[in-house]
Amino acid sequence: MTQAHDDLDDLFGAVAQRAPLPSDVLMARVMADAVAHQPGLVAVKRVPRAGLWDVILAALGGRGALAGLATATLAGVWIGFAQPLPVAALGLDLTGEVVQLFPDDESFFQNGTGVDGLFGTAEE
Amino acid sequence: MTMPFDTLTAASDEALLVLYANGDPVAARALADRLVPRLLRFATRMLNDATEAEDVAQEAMLRLWRIAPEWRTGEAKVSTWIWRVVANLCTDRLRKRRTVALDAGPEPEDGAPSALAGLIESDRAAALEAALTALPDRQRQAVVLRHLEGLTNPEIAEIMQIGVEAVESLTARGKRALSAMLAGRKAELGYDAEDGG
Repeated sequence: MTQAHDDLDDLFGAVAQRAPLPSDVLMARVMADAVAHQPGLVAVKRVPRAGLWDVILAALGGRGALAGLATATLAGVWIGFAQPLPVAALGLDLTGEVVQLFPDDESFFQNGTGVDGLFGTAEE
Repeated sequence: MTMPFDTLTAASDEALLVLYANGDPVAARALADRLVPRLLRFATRMLNDATEAEDVAQEAMLRLWRIAPEWRTGEAKVSTWIWRVVANLCTDRLRKRRTVALDAGPEPEDGAPSALAGLIESDRAAALEAALTALPDRQRQAVVLRHLEGLTNPEIAEIMQIGVEAVESLTARGKRALSAMLAGRKAELGYDAEDGG
């Protein structure tokens, strides 16, 4: 039996040598299928280059921040154009009194050193 | 991007398949050059019909091209996958043959004494090829993959989707059957009739 198996192993080697080779026609058919079913080249997406405005916008903090800045700018322009009254004049209009928290040197020395001297009121 | 053909010949099957799926025009050729000859040999041994074997090899490669975009790397070996496809395609065709011609016997075509007249190696090889066609399909599959294609038993087990022990059993029974078939023709094949066996 061993001899028979040795013979068989020899024969397997001989059979393997007789292997059929693929014909050119078969390879052409296989390659035609490959071409027909090949997915297209995967295009590499080009990342758009950041422009000057994109850089500025990013530095400011984005579109939301830009909207806030624009609003503040317009408000500033409007305040400058309308010239609203000074705050002191606004207070006078409302109360009719001027509260002098820090009297000048003259008032300080003329009115003595008491609390009354420091915080005097002036009638308009 | 196209990789040089020389570089591709050293790449793994899986790498070539991924390259093909990504549109590399040369990868398909490298993969076909590597796989088609082996698939054709296997299909020819299984079907004993050159035309049908070519159709099977082409069909298997077609399935590979189709699956390439969805191929999940690292899950299965390309070679194992495609061997299995060929094995299944051959089994389907063999079943159809039996359905079409139930009385088609597995007798070797070249069993006539004239074909074995010369006591040369090629005749003995031809006798073995003929004997292979007489084996049951599963035995033939296992014997061809093991002894003609040189695959390991675990690889064959994966292709045939059976255990390694079952592969060993199939190849052992196949070889015994082949020995028995050839034993009666030893004198014709040029072996000493008094050899042990």
